[in-house]
Amino acid sequence: MRIIVIGGTGLAEQVADALHGAGDEVTVIDTEPGRESALAKAGLRAVHGDALVPSTLEAAGALRADVLVACTQSDEDNLVISLLAKKRFNVPRVIARVNDPANDELFNHSWGVDALVSPATALVSMIRQES
Amino acid sequence: MQVVITGCGRTGRALATRLDAEGDKVTVIELDDTVKRGLPAGFRCRFVLGNGINPRVLEAAGIAHAEAFVALTPNDSANIVSARVARDIYQVPHVLARLHDPAHAPVYTQFGIATVGSVQTTVNRVIQLLHHRTLEPHQTFGNGETLLVRSRVPAYLAGRRVAEFNVPGEIGVVELSRAGHSKIPEPSTPLEDGDVLSFIVAATSLGRLRSFLGGKWS
Repeated sequence: MRIIVIGGTGLAEQVADALHGAGDEVTVIDTEPGRESALAKAGLRAVHGDALVPSTLEAAGALRADVLVACTQSDEDNLVISLLAKKRFNVPRVIARVNDPANDELFNHSWGVDALVSPATALVSMIRQES
Repeated sequence: MQVVITGCGRTGRALATRLDAEGDKVTVIELDDTVKRGLPAGFRCRFVLGNGINPRVLEAAGIAHAEAFVALTPNDSANIVSARVARDIYQVPHVLARLHDPAHAPVYTQFGIATVGSVQTTVNRVIQLLHHRTLEPHQTFGNGETLLVRSRVPAYLAGRRVAEFNVPGEIGVVELSRAGHSKIPEPSTPLEDGDVLSFIVAATSLGRLRSFLGGKWS
């Protein structure tokens, strides 16, 4: 699968690494300059730029991507990137990360989000289930 | 008019104060609780602490009954998200958002959000004042990308036709005043000494118009 992962170090990179290890073709968009070589060393294609700018998404191959993961630390950015991916680039599957559980309800189809990952909410529901 | 504003920085505060003075009922949403303490004593607008993208916060600010929503935070994506929530979920009739990074303009356009672009407006205005002082605009449109300019036709251009000034996508002659009478000229209308023309011109083509009028006809 062709997958675009957006976000800097941390979760985004771990996701990208794992997907690449499983044989997917992964492109990472990162706003931080100079990370391309480190990412390339890990076998990942890297695009440096702002994913809120449509040309950056296009350079990362958004028109051909099967999956896009909006995984930045800003919920606002993740929502806007998801909607751009869905509306402008028709990416079939858009997955977004929720940083603040208060914003959970925004992450739905009206923002182009097919699935959300909310670490805090997931943890809380796991704790509830076990107690 | 009931107005909700997100972002209580310099612009948000000034806008809220001005709307309040004009009789509007204003609520300001601000993420940073230290801002409230710094507000001037005379600030009478309602203050709601929270993130303006959050529907609960917007509701607390009275978004359900607002006639206008203005997103003025320093963060473009926060402005896009809250503007779209205000428009699509709460059907606020008038929604405006501030645009900081001109590179984000396509996103606002794609989502149909009307913007006020501080960078673009400032750049267009400064270029206008530095390079094109002689072409003072009668009206500017959008964020200053398009202007309506009036100028007297210099004597040496008498006999030229209106069509010679028209550059598709850049410059268009929309009006001609001659001896106190105004008309919409035909492309074939010949110009006379003393005519005054109204041009609709792209900000990026002001230099070209100036060279037309200033003797550097190319």
